[in-house]
Amino acid sequence: MLIKQMPARVESLHDLLTFVTDEAKKKGFSEDARHRIELVVEEALVNVFVHGYTQHQGQVEVRCLDSDDSSLTIEISDTGIPFNPLFLADPDLQPDLAKRKIGGMGVFLIRKMTDEVAYRREGDNNILTMTVLNR
Amino acid sequence: MEIVVTNESDIFIFSIRGRLDAVSVPQLEERLNQWFEQSGTKLVFDLDGLDYISSAGLRVFLTTAKKIKARNGKLCMARLRENVKDVFTISGFIALIPAFDTIGAAQDAIQ
Repeated sequence: MLIKQMPARVESLHDLLTFVTDEAKKKGFSEDARHRIELVVEEALVNVFVHGYTQHQGQVEVRCLDSDDSSLTIEISDTGIPFNPLFLADPDLQPDLAKRKIGGMGVFLIRKMTDEVAYRREGDNNILTMTVLNR
Repeated sequence: MEIVVTNESDIFIFSIRGRLDAVSVPQLEERLNQWFEQSGTKLVFDLDGLDYISSAGLRVFLTTAKKIKARNGKLCMARLRENVKDVFTISGFIALIPAFDTIGAAQDAIQ
């Protein structure tokens, strides 16, 4: 298992994404699968950056779990306020521009573009686990 | 990310190269705010050079679409790469901003 921990702020985003996409490349993931991984990891991380820590600067940890080359499972964990992003309702995908609300797309994209996603709370940690298949 | 703004008569073209993510979005927002200070009403996003977009980027596009609609203008985009088009499609945003394969077609649409 590979682990990378950084401050939970947007300046950490690119390093954390590179960490994950490098791993996906090593496993021979298709370009399409790599794009999906990068996107869902960004969305999960930005949720932590924005919602996770209200009072002090915290850390976020990204773990690439051991598995074969047909899939990549990533865990994003933080010690911020208890927050399950999967509780957020899907945005109203409505075609009327004036009525379409801004926001809510991050978790929606995670749901649509991962093959499996789950949240759990362990002690002080929020842990979001996402699996993307190589296809 | 690089943003190059050109115009042919009253149609402005924002060419975006690189990635549009939570890090680079403020840069695009600022450039668009500058554009909105003027009275332009026709905007084309040329996305031939855009290799990645996340929900942060989608948010800017939606805000831009709303602002242009508020001034009775027209917005469209051109030359989306496959992976970018996928994100627009899955999010439903492809229905909000017309997309074209060429800049010429985009310009014709918003004449």
